[in-house]
This record gives sequence, C-alpha cells and structure tokens, in this order.
Amino acid sequence: MSFMSLQVNEPGRSVLMTGNEAITRGAIEAGLSFAASYPGSPTSEILAHLGRLANEHNLYAEWSVNEKVAIEEAAAASFAGLRSLCIVKQNGLNVALDSLVSIAISGIKAGMVLVVGDDPGAHSSTNEEDSRLLSKVVHIPIFEPSTPEEAKQMTLAAYELSENLKLPVTLRCVTRISHASGNVTLGELQNVNKQAIFAKKDRYVTNAALHQLQEVKLAKIRQIADTLPFNTYKGPQNAKTVIIASGPSALYAPEAVNALGLDNEVGVLKLGMTWPLPEKFLLEHMKHAERVIFIEEIESFNEDNVMALAAQHISEIYPLEFYGQKSGHVTGPKGPGVGEMDPDKVKQSIARVLGVENNQAAEKPSLKLETPDVPVREMAFCAGCPHRASFWAMKSAVALDGRNAVVLGDIGCYSLALRRTGWALPQTMHAMGSSAGIANGLGKLERFGFKQPVIAVVGDSTFFHSTIPALVNARYTRANFLLVVLDNETTAMTGHQPHPGMSKNAMGEIVEGLQIEEVVKGLKLPVVIQDPYDVKGTTEVVYKLLQSEGTKVLVLSQACALVAAKASTRPRVYIDQEQCIGDSCGCNRFCSATFTCPATIWDPKKGKALIDEVVCNRCQVCVSLCPQGAIKVEGGANLDR
Amino acid sequence: MTAKVLNIIVTGVGGQGNVLASQVIATAAVDSGYFVSVGETFGASQRGGSVTSHIRVSKVSAYGPLIPQGEADFILGFEPLETLRTFRDYGNSSTQVIMNVRPNYPLGVLLNEDQYPDIPVLTGNLRVQSQKLWALEATNLAVDVGVPVGTNMVMTGAFAGVQFLPISFLAYETVLKGMFAGEILDLNLAAFQVGVKAVS
Amino acid sequence: MEQSKMPLRLRQEVMESGNCARCGLCVGLCPYIKTMNERIAFIHDCNREDGTCYRVCPRTPTNLSDLDKQVFGKERADHGLGNYLEILYARSLNKDLAQAGQYGGVVSTLAAYMVESGESQAAVLTKRQNNSPPTPCLARNREEVLSCSGSNYSASPTLSILNAGVRSGLEKLTIVGRPCQILGLRKMQALTERSEHNMSAKKVDFLIGLFCFWSLETEIYTYLRGKTGSARLLRMDIPQNYGVVTTENGEIQIPIDELRAFIRPTCQSCFDPTSEFADVSVGSTEYDPEWSTLIIRSTRGQEIVNKVCNAGHLETKPYPEERLPLLLNAVINKKKRVLESLSNGKGYEYLELSSDYTQGIEEGGVGR
Repeated sequence: MSFMSLQVNEPGRSVLMTGNEAITRGAIEAGLSFAASYPGSPTSEILAHLGRLANEHNLYAEWSVNEKVAIEEAAAASFAGLRSLCIVKQNGLNVALDSLVSIAISGIKAGMVLVVGDDPGAHSSTNEEDSRLLSKVVHIPIFEPSTPEEAKQMTLAAYELSENLKLPVTLRCVTRISHASGNVTLGELQNVNKQAIFAKKDRYVTNAALHQLQEVKLAKIRQIADTLPFNTYKGPQNAKTVIIASGPSALYAPEAVNALGLDNEVGVLKLGMTWPLPEKFLLEHMKHAERVIFIEEIESFNEDNVMALAAQHISEIYPLEFYGQKSGHVTGPKGPGVGEMDPDKVKQSIARVLGVENNQAAEKPSLKLETPDVPVREMAFCAGCPHRASFWAMKSAVALDGRNAVVLGDIGCYSLALRRTGWALPQTMHAMGSSAGIANGLGKLERFGFKQPVIAVVGDSTFFHSTIPALVNARYTRANFLLVVLDNETTAMTGHQPHPGMSKNAMGEIVEGLQIEEVVKGLKLPVVIQDPYDVKGTTEVVYKLLQSEGTKVLVLSQACALVAAKASTRPRVYIDQEQCIGDSCGCNRFCSATFTCPATIWDPKKGKALIDEVVCNRCQVCVSLCPQGAIKVEGGANLDR
Repeated sequence: MTAKVLNIIVTGVGGQGNVLASQVIATAAVDSGYFVSVGETFGASQRGGSVTSHIRVSKVSAYGPLIPQGEADFILGFEPLETLRTFRDYGNSSTQVIMNVRPNYPLGVLLNEDQYPDIPVLTGNLRVQSQKLWALEATNLAVDVGVPVGTNMVMTGAFAGVQFLPISFLAYETVLKGMFAGEILDLNLAAFQVGVKAVS
Repeated sequence: MEQSKMPLRLRQEVMESGNCARCGLCVGLCPYIKTMNERIAFIHDCNREDGTCYRVCPRTPTNLSDLDKQVFGKERADHGLGNYLEILYARSLNKDLAQAGQYGGVVSTLAAYMVESGESQAAVLTKRQNNSPPTPCLARNREEVLSCSGSNYSASPTLSILNAGVRSGLEKLTIVGRPCQILGLRKMQALTERSEHNMSAKKVDFLIGLFCFWSLETEIYTYLRGKTGSARLLRMDIPQNYGVVTTENGEIQIPIDELRAFIRPTCQSCFDPTSEFADVSVGSTEYDPEWSTLIIRSTRGQEIVNKVCNAGHLETKPYPEERLPLLLNAVINKKKRVLESLSNGKGYEYLELSSDYTQGIEEGGVGR
C-alpha cells in the first residue's frame, strides 16, 4: 500500500492510494520543492510522506510551529520561484487566514497550492467547518476532488492554474477523500532541483489597489472553469432533474440514482471546481432541467452560489425549482448541513425530492433475529496514557484545594478529558492555545470578587503553536493562573508528528529540541517539571502551585504511551486475584470503573479485577492507585518511579 | 465475480491494526486488476473508538467510499461487539462473517453501566442471521505464533483463506513483502498462514 | 438526598458542611478520599451504598452508651469524664522525653515504651513541622517517638497513616490521638460484620487519648509565620489566657483572642474534651507544668501504666483533691455550651444523645 506506492516510478500503472497519498504523489509529479504544514486530521499524512521522500526528490518538508508560519513559508518559497505546498485542516486555515488574505492580494510567483482538510461529521475534530467559505473570502479558486484519482489530477492542475494566475489555489479535501483509498494512475515522478532566487524587480505587497486585479483574476478563472475536465455531467441529455454535487457526494449521487432506478431520468453534474463557478456549464444544464438538487457537505456553499447565479439568469432558466439544504430536502436525521453525507442519506434525499419510494427497506433481506443491545463505544484515553494520570492528579488537587478551581481545556488528545475518560474536568475548550488566553482573562478577575484558582491545560505541541503569546501576556499583565503543559514528547492526536520541542524534524534529521521550561524560564516565570505517572507527587505539586500567586507553569512530562510501549521492555503488570477483594473493597472497582484504563477489566467469573495484557501498555500507574495493593509488577520491579 | 460490486467491511477497535488489514486486502485487489474504493475513519484509532473500513471491489468502475446500509457482503470483525454493531447496520441474510471472539470492553461496560453481550449469545445470533460465520480465536492464535499484535494478519489470512475475493494467496503475500522486511515480515507471513489454516 | 448512599452523605453532611473533625480515619480506606494540608476531600463520588468511611466517622451518628459497653463493658456513671478507673498526676522519668515533651512528657514516654518493649510495632504520632502543618508519623523506635514530641494545635488528620501502615503489614499499633480520633477508632473496632471494614482498627491495641477542648484551623500557620518571620518554630503552648510560641530566637506571646479566631467551628459541637474512649487520656493539669493529668480508663490502660511505672519510666501521684472539681467543671461547662448551642439550633448534632446523658451533663456530671 501506501508509502511504497508513492515511490513506484511506473507511469500508467494503477495503484491503491489514499487521497492524501494521491495529493503527495501529485505534488511530486508537479515538481514540488517546498512544503510546510501543521498536523491536523484529515490531512496530516501528506507532509509526513513528503518528509520521508524529501531527500530523494530534492524537496524540503517542514512541520511548522503553526499554520500561519507554514503558509508564510510556502508563500516565501513561491516568491523565490519554487513550487510550494501548504497543508492545513479546517481550523488550521482559520489560523493562517490573516496571512493568506494578504498573500492572495500580493500575488505569488511559482505555483502554490493550499490543501485544506475539512472534516464533515467531525470524525477527528472539535467542530464541523466549511473552509470553502474562507477560500471565497480570500478570492482564490477551490478544487474539490471526489476520488483519490481526481485528488492527484487536481493537484497537478492546481499548480498550473496557480502559476498562470500568480494566485494560491485551494484543494479542498474532506475526510472521505483524504482517508479514502482508491485506484490512482501514476504519472512521471519529478526530481527538480530548482534554483531559488528572489528577483530584484519583484515586489509582493498587500495593497488595496490590488483588489481590482484579484477580481480580474477571478473572472479569468471563471472562464477557465467552463473548460475544466473536472466539471462533468453524466446522465440523459435533457434530464428534467439535475443533481449538482461535489466531493464524495458526486459518487454517492449516481449510486443512489441507480439504486432508485432513475438512471434514465436524472442527470448528475459534478462540480470539480466549486469556486469560482463554471457558469456557462451550469447554465447549460439548468436550462433543460425542471428541478435541481444540491448535494454537498457542511454548508450550502454550492447551493447558495448556484442559486445566486440562477437568479442572475432567471429569464434563461425559468421555470426551475431548487432542492437542497435550504428547502430542507437534502438532509440526514440531524437536519440540513449537520454531519457528513453517505449513500443512504443521499438516496433518501433524492427519493424525498422526487416523491419516489425509497425501496431500500424492501431490498434489504430482513434480519431473522433481534440483535442484542449493542453498547456504544466511547473514545477514551489509551491504556497507559499519561493524560489519564495527569487529569486524575489535577482532579485530586482541585478537590483537595476546595475552592472550585476552573480547569480550561485545549486541543489535542487531552480534549478527551471533556468526556468521561477525563472525568469531564475541563470546563472550556475552544481553539489551539485558547485555554491560556481564557486563563489570562479569568486570572485578572480578583478585583471583581473572583476567588477560584484557574488551571489552563495545553499539550506540548499546542504550547509551541499558540500558547507562548498568551504566556507573554500573562507575565506582562500579572495574570493569576497555573498553566499545565502535558508534555508527551510528540503531537500525539494527529499521529505522532514532531514539533519544535523534539530532536527530530519532518525529514528525520536530528535537530536541537527546544525545551518548554527554557521558554518559560526565558519569560522569567516559575516552572516545575513533574512525572504524571507519579500521581501522588503530581497531586501535591499541582496543589502547592495552586496556593501560590501569579502565573506559573507545570510541565507534566511523560512520553505518549503508544510511543513508549513500542520502544520499551517494561515488566508485565498483573492483578493478584488473591489480594483483590472485588466488590468487598471500598474501591468500587476503581481500576476498571473509575480510572477506566481499558487494560484493567472486570472478571465476572471471579468477581475480581483483571488486566488484559494484550491491551496493557505497562505504565504501572494503577499499581500505585489500587487501595489493596493487588496490582503487581512482575519481578516486583517498579520502573521509572 | 458476477456482482457489480462486492462490499466488504473490516471493523474493530482502535489499535487492533484493522486499517492495515484493509489496506492489505485493498492493495491485493488493485494489484489483481480491480477497481477498489476504501472508506476509512481513523480519527478514533488508538483512542478506544470503533474503527471501520469499507472496501468496495468492482470489475467495472470506482464506487463511492461508503457502503449503503444493509449491503455488506462480507464482514471481517476484529472484535465481537463491533462485528455485531456492523452486522446490525450493514448485514443481511446473505452476508458472510469472520469474527475474532476476543472482546474489548467499551468505557460504558468498564463503568458497569452497560452490559457486554454474552459471547455465546452474540455468536449464536450472528450464526443464525448471517449466511456463514467463522468465529476465530484470532488473538490467541497470534499470541501462539509469538506476535500478539499480529491479530490483524491472522484475520487477513482467514479472509484470504475463505476465498471470498478471487485473489491468490500470492497476491496477498506480495503486498506483505512490499510492506515489511526481515523478521517482521516473517512473523506477519506466519500469522497470515495461521489465519489461512484456521478457516481451511 | 438518598439516605442510603453513605459516602455521599459523608461528603455532604460532614465534609461539605464543615463538620469534618479531620481525624483522617476515612483517608486511605478507598481511593476516593484524600488529604492535603489538613483538608480532607472526596476526589470522586464512589457511588457506593455502604461506606466504612461513614460508619467510622466521629461526626456521624454514634450511640455513646453502646460504645461505653463495647469499650468498658458498662455504661458511664460520670457524665463529665466518662468511664475511668483512676485519675492521677504523672510525669516522665526519662529526661530527654520529659524535656522534649510538654507537661512532663507522659505521652512520649508511654509511646516510647510501647515501641521499645515490643508491645506495639509502631505508634501513630503527629510530627510538628516548622511553621507548617504537622505530618502523620509511624514511629517505630524511641528516636522516632522523640522526634514527634510536643503539642500541636491544628486538626491534623494523622490517622490517614494508620490504614497505610496496616496495609504495609504492621500488626500491633499504638495510637496517640485527639478525642475525635479515638472515637472514630472505637467505632471502627465495632464494625465486626466484615473483616475488611475494621482491619485497621483491629491492629490498634493501645489508644492514648489527648485532652482537646478545641483545635485550630490550618491558617494558623500562615498567621504564625507572620508573627515569627523566618525564625524556626520550636514549640507552641497555650497555658491559660495567652499563647506562647517558642522560636529559635525566643518566646513570642500571642493574645488568646487572636488565637480564638482560628478555632474550628466543628470543635464547638464536640462533647468529648478528654478522650473518653481511650485506654488512657493525658492532658495538662492547668496548674503544674511539670506534671500531666493521666486518666486510666480501661484495664488495658491500667496494665500498660503499671508496666511503664515498674520499668522506671514514669512516676505518678494522686490527683490533688482540690483540683478535681476544676477539671470536672471545665469539662462540664464545655458540654453544656454544646448542649446550649444545639438547643439554639446551632452546631452539628451527630451523637445519639440519651436523656440520661444530657441530664447527667445538666446535673454536673457528679455521682460517680
């Protein structure tokens, strides 16, 4: 699969690739020189692949400190004549937006592509967000692939378009593209070794006068859009019903039409470029239709834009009815625009509009038996996750402190603390680094009678990404809060990418990692480092820090259990069922039911606790927490403590 | 292969390696000349959530990455509860199932709020409902070969072994050889063979 | 509120209502109740119906008459001082202990004898820290006992170390505790239905109770730091109507009213200033700083005091006749104040008070 297929140099061969691999491959085939990104699902794998291929293909790949820096660097490479790539997730574009608006105005030189990963259904995100609206604000075109194959082709096309118009181009992917796999036809691998130069005559300056030029560029792209091979129509010549779809919905739609037996009545118009619109192409197909159905994910972006176009050309296309999110016809059970599309929602929506019977229930051979109750499977901290220990210690310290401390959450694996796995300890969660900003605010409310201690919790990668300015502010304004940095030595949430605190970069080179405590000491703020696996010690440290005034930082340092488990030969941890007294103990099944480590389970036969040794990552935290001392380490050793 | 498209679901819990298994199956299918689409959710991977891959194999054309409800032809279940969940939503009476019988308890069960279905009841239910069920001790088989994390290869071997897709063992092994080398390759191949044998 | 959930009731009725005596006995029975800086708190609701924590708490309903019968085999005749065999003056004959301790070093001498003679494997004591809350200590030898000598005036949850000590395998333990701590331990000893519930108390074989009319909030240490600065605090004493703090730089007197501000409200609801359920109770004579008041209550207490005296570590003399009414009055007055505040709807009523008991107090506790 995957990584190895990226290196196959057999043009014309069809291989299996994820959408992210297809984009990676497309960028290399387009002669990419410079890539920068901050990790975020669903697009994290692109830069990871580029990092590994960097040497072979004479390119530079970087995990930047945040998306704003990443996009500025990508623009810089373009200014210097190198094709560049910036990869962000939906929220990452929010961070980069300020700079991107300006870069689009100033214009660029070599092709610059911005890959934005949107996550309809928020599989691995805090929220659903349609980044297409932002690209529209920025005045740049949007390609929207519907298959991995198309993702690769569009990447190549995006570079051409970007370079022709001196404008960044967005490739908007959704999770079902980035993380989907499909056949991809390989092209020629490029190995450009381009000379970078910032030409003496060149100027890239943001200036209101350039707005006019942006509109000219968009008008030009509008014309190009009409001839792009990515905008297609399939179906009867003069279909009365035309479905306008983009992204994976453009695949769900024909399948649904076919399943409903409507192949001879309904046409599907796939928009591969969703901004600016291929206006002539759209009007041509709206003219023969009596009704249009819009199928897309998150916002009614195409729907709004196409309806505005239709309004402008009302006399040419009248009469025509529009169905979509706005009419309420195209929707899943949670209402229009909420959650991702799937073949069933699309089929139901089309059936709803056309008043045909959704024959799905009749087709599906009925199940003979009633299914037993299937409990939900909530996300939880992994076995041995240091965050579980950290949050238990913080929870303990907060309870012992007794002043209703407010815990502020942030973005990372530890966002899960808002759920039961972290005892729902944090009371807020917003964007990267927001906890520290909110702590700054709360930390000054003493003059208004606010007496609760404040704890902001960030991860190591989030610390570098956008916490430092808040910490500078805190020192300057003497905010009263404790910043806890959960330092697991990696960007764990998105798949263990390196960050500035680590001694390795995206290309596998050894670099000097920046220690969090050095940054804090540089700000002349007090900092304590503690191992969260020592729950008792951590509770004491958090408690003590809560008793002190001012801004202070606690670094809870322990490697991500998944990384550590791979590397270590820690001794086996097991439960001595002779010593565990089961439900006779006052612990109320502490290890399984309260601490909820997935490795400590309940043995219903014996009525005692049990460790699932296939799942256990051998962190030994439960050993110190069992009130009976029934959890043992093989050989009696107690590592790292 | 007579159907227009064959719908296979690989399901399990984050950390079980089912994404890798689906990639092996899908790659072997592409290498054998099929159009393949795989829809994957790995956001929950490693964090205890359900992880499911939809694999759609066709001689004719590329399909969308998600399988419509009730239309799975084959379910490769790495965990009993997830197999049941997937069967409930995507299975029908002609669906075939391979299931690893080792449970992985969700948070609600650890919290003693939810009841994990009895394995014999669950297995019995699937046996009656499906066209065919292979219930395997895949994790134990993997532990026996010396690779507790090789459950995914045992399951992949079992899938190859039942010959649901007309793909040769060689095609699977070629994919594995492209992915791994040395001792790790040998362990994976051994686990794969154990899986093949378990269903023969 | 569900009546049956004992741990929840403990949290709501005792801890969150400010009635916790901070004895520490509930700490370490389970993973949910923890202590820090003398505070005791629930980290997480355990959701259990039954709770040893609630059953043993000295601030949950307690039947004193049952407890009298359990410990002494009979009801009390004296409603002032409770059951006792003998009341004496005592002082240590060990110079080091006498000097390190307060009022004659009787407590230290008894504890030291217990661990040195092998009667106990360890003694649960309270170790004073410089200008910060004291910490619990498991003293296993004379030196460790010596390091814990001297009085403390805050409510240190010392018993938190008992459960841990028993888990680590200790079999026979001496406890030095405040009246609330002794009461809690006796309640725990009464829980004989299930072995895991009273495992700690079963290992306690000698209880030395302290006189305690009130204890101070932890904030006293912040206050004292303000008075003494960085000077090391050596000892603290409250002779009569002022406090004396001895530091390495000398003595500082503190007006009693300033100290009173730190008295813990829950102590105003306590009926037991003399550790009525201990084997022996020890306290100031309020008269002669060279001697302590020693109340021998149980036969076990009698046995140990005899042994310690015979071994030449302790001397006793009869309690001066004329001083006895003063002691009794102080105790009865305290009990009356509690009764009064309860009848005014103030205070926290946790004891199951029989009419005999309240009447006995009203009548002045005499008639033994």
